[in-house]
This record gives sequence, C-alpha cells and structure tokens, in this order.
Amino acid sequence: MDSIISTFHIEWKTLLTQAINFSLVLLVLYIFALKPVSKLMKERTAKIEKGIADAAENRKLLEQSKKKYEEQLAKARREANVILLEMKKEVEKKKADMLADAKKEVNRILENGRKTLENEKTKMVGEAKKEVATLAIKITEKLLMEEVGPSFQEKAVEEVNKL
Amino acid sequence: MNLIQEISLFAEPVARIGKYAVTNSMLASWVAAIIIIIFSLSLRFKLKEIPRGMQNLFEMLVEGAFSLIDQVTGDRKLSEKVFPIALPLFLFILLNNWIGLMPLGWVGQVEHTGKGFLFVPYLRGGSADVNTTIALAVMSVLAANLFGVLSIGIWKVFNKYVNIKVLSSIPGRIKKDLTVVIVAPITFFVGLIEIIGEIAKMVSLAFRLFGNIFAGEVLLYSMAALIPYIVPVPFLFLELLMTSIQALIFAMLVVVYFTISASEHGHEDETDVRKEQEEIKEVLSAKA
Repeated sequence: MDSIISTFHIEWKTLLTQAINFSLVLLVLYIFALKPVSKLMKERTAKIEKGIADAAENRKLLEQSKKKYEEQLAKARREANVILLEMKKEVEKKKADMLADAKKEVNRILENGRKTLENEKTKMVGEAKKEVATLAIKITEKLLMEEVGPSFQEKAVEEVNKL
Repeated sequence: MNLIQEISLFAEPVARIGKYAVTNSMLASWVAAIIIIIFSLSLRFKLKEIPRGMQNLFEMLVEGAFSLIDQVTGDRKLSEKVFPIALPLFLFILLNNWIGLMPLGWVGQVEHTGKGFLFVPYLRGGSADVNTTIALAVMSVLAANLFGVLSIGIWKVFNKYVNIKVLSSIPGRIKKDLTVVIVAPITFFVGLIEIIGEIAKMVSLAFRLFGNIFAGEVLLYSMAALIPYIVPVPFLFLELLMTSIQALIFAMLVVVYFTISASEHGHEDETDVRKEQEEIKEVLSAKA
C-alpha cells in the first residue's frame, strides 16, 4: 500500500483539493446551468404539448361548431319553408275570404239597388198612375164640362189603380 | 545544458502556496473548473426561451445525456436525479483530459535536478494524476451509496453489506428447511464481500481513467519524441476520441452504480436464498 502511495504520489491534501474543486464545479454547473436549462426545457416541452393539445381541442370544437351551425342552418331552412307554406296558405285563404266577402257585398249592394229601384219604380208607377188618373179626370171634366163629385173621383182613381 | 524530458507517473509541482505544492495536474483541473464556471455563468445570464448558439449546443448535450442515462436507468424520474451528477462528471473529466492534450502542455519550466535540467510542463491532464481520479471515484461511489440510502432507506443499504436480516431469519426457517444454516451465513459473507466490491469500484474507476489518460499522454509524448510535427497528429485525434470515450465511460459507470444503489435488494436476496436452498436440496437428493 505504501509503495502504491509513494509511486503515484497519493496525497490526502491533493485528494481533498481535487474533491473540493469538483464539488465547486458540480455546484456551479448545477445551480447556473443544469437546473435553469432543465427547467426551461421542461417548460418549453409543456408549452409545446399544451399547444398541440389546444390545437387538437380547438379543431374538435371548430368541427363541432361547424356541425352545429350546419344543423341549425338546415333547421332554420326547414322552419322557414314551413312558415312560408303556412303564410301562403293563409294568404290564399284570406284572399278567398276577401273575394267571397266582396262578392257578397256586391250582391248585397246589387240587391239593395234592385229593391230601391223596384220601390222607386213602384212609387213612380203609382205616382204616374195617380197623375194619369188626375189628368184623365181633369181631361174628362173638361170634356164633359161637368163637375164630378169626390166619390166619383175616388172611384175613378181606384179604377185607374186597378189597371 | 543537459535538458531531460521524461514522463512522470505522478503530477509534478509547478508552484507553492506556503507548504502546499500546486501540481501541474491540479492547475489543469483549476483551469477546467474555471472554464466550466465561466460557461455556466454566461449561459445562466444569456438564457432565452428560444435557444441560440451555446445554449442550443448545451441543450443538445442535455438531451443526449438524458437519453443515454434513460437507457441505463429505464426510468425518467431516476434519470433526473442522477443527471446532475453524471453530466458535470463527464464535462469535468472531458475538459481535464483535453487540457492535457493541448499544445500548452509543452509550455513549462526547467528545474535543476541532480541528473541535469528537467522540463516540467505547466499543464498536465487532470485525469493523468491519480489523485484526481481517486478523488472523483471515491466521491462517486460514496454519493451512489448515499443516493441508495435516500432512495431505499438506510436499513436496506446496511443489510446489503452486513446482512443481519438473513442471519436473524435462521431460527424462523430452520424448522422448515435445515439448509438455511449453510445458506444464510454464505449470504451474510456475500454481503461482506460487497464492501470489498465497493472499494474495488473506486479502485477500478480511478485507475481505469488514470491508466488510459496517462497511457495516451505517454503515446503522444513518445510519438512526438520519435518523429515530431506530422506523425503525432493522427494520434492526437485518436486521443481526442479516446479521452471523450473515457469520460463517457466514467460517467456512465457512475450512473450504473447510482441505479444499482437505488434498486432494492431485499426481495431479490430472499428469492436467491430460496433458489439456493432448492438447488442444494436437489443436489443432496441426487446424491442420496
């Protein structure tokens, strides 16, 4: 053992110095290089992993939103078509109703007009008859040159009305 | 003037601080340490999220180191614990080795000895001095055992070397199996041999590195002495590669020691004892 120590000049002081030297290197390298670099690399890896996961999630969400949007669009189109059809039907119905009402009104007006006309006609005919009777009497009076009594006049008017 | 240029097995003193002799290997180690410290500080203060230049290179080194350590440990969490020891070891040894190969090794001082004037270079590879390699090996093996204590507990690590657990299990097992009287003491002594194994680890780590680096320097020195200028160049490149491999081997062996220390042996020991007992039974029955 002594020969090994003397041959290789193994000295505890040198051993200790080298041990302290390496310990210092280890400490400085760990504190100032390995620890921060490892931390940075880990953080970067986590960030990249999160970015990839987020992108996948976003893609999924986008696909879902697109699908939902298309579904809603199709639904809205279907509803719009239904509403349009209903509106058309309603309009048709209203149109038909209004036409019917208008026809009814026209008929009513025509009927009223006809009635009024009838009444006027009847009235006019009556009046005309009266006038004719009066004129006939007057003409007769004049022709006969005699006065006729009121009873004869009324009789004569009735006779004319019967005509 | 008779100038002697000889390769010394040990590092030569080039300066003195009081009674303390500063050797050329120690000087090289200090230079290596200063380079690493300056590099670490500059890296820390220029650290950016998007790596550039040196940071890029260092991150590549870190990634590479992690993938290598993962292959040994097989567990990223364990790798993260071993990594802060392994990478500094690798870098420190590598720089020490490379400093020894630098042409600065040919700058030195001339000392007067009885035989004549002796040339002493200012820088000699840090790993070409056994004091450095022993210091690193002892620290590594002790750290591995400490890591074992922190990972699996002091009792299990103690039983790995002084297997009281096996000895204390003899009274309980003796009724079931008589062979435990033979097997348990053997297991106990195997544990004691483990202590020698740990010392062997230190010695092998230290002398492997020292031997290889010193041999490399001798080779370069001899080549330069035989045919200077052109011939040593290929050997210089070979040495650059070899010193890198030696640094890697040292660091990887330390990773292996750390991994072994962190793994539990208790269960394996019991299984081994049972297996041995069964084997002994088979042999005895065959003989009978």
